[in-house]
Amino acid sequence: MVLLQLDPFLNELTSMFEKSKEKGSVWVTLKRSSLKSKLQKRKLSAAGESIEYRCLIRATDAKKTISTSVGAKDHLRFQASYATILKAHMTALKKRERKDRKKPTEAEKKESTSTSTKPKKL
Amino acid sequence: MVYIVSWDEFVDRSVQLFKADPESTRYVFKYRHCDGKLVLKVTDNKECLKFKTDQAQEARKMEKLNNIFFTLMARGPDVDLSEVNGKEQMETQPVKKGRGRKQ
Repeated sequence: MVLLQLDPFLNELTSMFEKSKEKGSVWVTLKRSSLKSKLQKRKLSAAGESIEYRCLIRATDAKKTISTSVGAKDHLRFQASYATILKAHMTALKKRERKDRKKPTEAEKKESTSTSTKPKKL
Repeated sequence: MVYIVSWDEFVDRSVQLFKADPESTRYVFKYRHCDGKLVLKVTDNKECLKFKTDQAQEARKMEKLNNIFFTLMARGPDVDLSEVNGKEQMETQPVKKGRGRKQ
């Protein structure tokens, strides 16, 4: 497990997405962690200090795993870059076409109008 | 595996799950470009919620959910539900600079 800084992590994540374009998956895990052992936590809470929590992010493409931890200060910047990377790579997803919905309704309308006679204009 | 059909239900339940147990709740997502599928999972090791999609618009919703989780995890589970807006407010908060010496 490779622990990286924010920017190298983002670069590696981008290359992972690119490598898995032909086949394979990319898994990303988000978890809250203070990165301290239980003993340290107890000591901190006993001393009355607040435990600083970080968001642990892990990414893997089944061959290698990278990880990074983001604190409250960095998370905004990381979030923005992360969202950009995802948007850029998740291009294989289908876009919902409204035409598909209209087609059956149009077909239904056509069927209903063909059976009923046209009203005469007075 | 519990696959949830409604996006909003998935979001509500996963946020609830996180707030109930922030230490052990984790959010996993898997993307397969070759299949064009995206699967999201939120679990606290007791309960598991999953959501799968192949729609681009769900991917955009997922990005919002990512933001929510990032904020919850980095700041703490006591963050306001308007986290997305709250985060913007944090950015615009002016830094109070000390006026320095009183002259």
